[in-house]
Amino acid sequence: MPLYECNEHQFVENIRRLLESNERFLVNRKMMLHDDAKYGPAIMPDHEFKRYEIICTRKSVNSTVYAKVPFIDNFHHSRMYEEGENLHSASALLFPRMSVPYYRVEYSVNVWGGTYFFAFDALFNPEVVIEKRSGRRFGKEGTLVHVLRYNPPDERVLAINLPKEVMVFDVKHMVRVIDHSSNF
Amino acid sequence: MLKKYHMNIYNRNLFHQSATNFYTRNTKKISVQEKKGVQKLKSISVLVPFERVQVSLSEIGFLLDDTVTIVADGKFWNKMLYVRDNETISVSEEIGDAYPKDPIITICGSRMTISKVVKGIGG
Repeated sequence: MPLYECNEHQFVENIRRLLESNERFLVNRKMMLHDDAKYGPAIMPDHEFKRYEIICTRKSVNSTVYAKVPFIDNFHHSRMYEEGENLHSASALLFPRMSVPYYRVEYSVNVWGGTYFFAFDALFNPEVVIEKRSGRRFGKEGTLVHVLRYNPPDERVLAINLPKEVMVFDVKHMVRVIDHSSNF
Repeated sequence: MLKKYHMNIYNRNLFHQSATNFYTRNTKKISVQEKKGVQKLKSISVLVPFERVQVSLSEIGFLLDDTVTIVADGKFWNKMLYVRDNETISVSEEIGDAYPKDPIITICGSRMTISKVVKGIGG
């Protein structure tokens, strides 16, 4: 079964054509949380990096990112980063130490034996707050410290909005079956 | 009790006329409902600045509801959701100094809204 990758514009226009042809079809949607260090602060464009500028610094895109202040990453079991710590090295862009979680969203439609899909990653929204934390590292009295939180994006902004007559099924995994019958 | 009418050459024309009127009225009703309720889908990729798209959407009453940063085709995009009643428009614009910039506008709304958006961005 051939797989065809589309961009958003192509995918939506293909669905529109199917709707206009009165063809019966089903749209599948897969939405999974990933935290596999695919995205780190060094590779982000300046517009996105600005959201992290309270806690980290860099010279430009793909430069090494360092912690500006000590902070706690609340999403990753309250992991502590010290001031000046290397968060994402320019020499190891594929292996960031500070990982940004994301949702992998895949939309697909099966028509006439072919699968047409559109996939994208939606990054979690960072939020930096100052909180009073106590414990072994901060003492009994407690200390004010920067805390990085990641808020998941709302589902309504991730979804491709389709007319009500289009049925969307949520799936966990898509098994791609190779059909050899056409070879005989 | 149903009354029976004998049909001759004169009132047959009248019957046809009434039937046509009845049919047209029903179809008109459906088309009005269609305009109000039935949603259409349209995606546009145009070489116009995002600011122009934004102005065009606000002029027809769409408000920014939410934004998210997405990564697709190896590029970072700012995806914005605009809402008006049950109609939605999402605008995806590439982040950074990419040139040329062609925001992707996906409309799920009435035929009227689609034509207004297309007209507003110079289509």
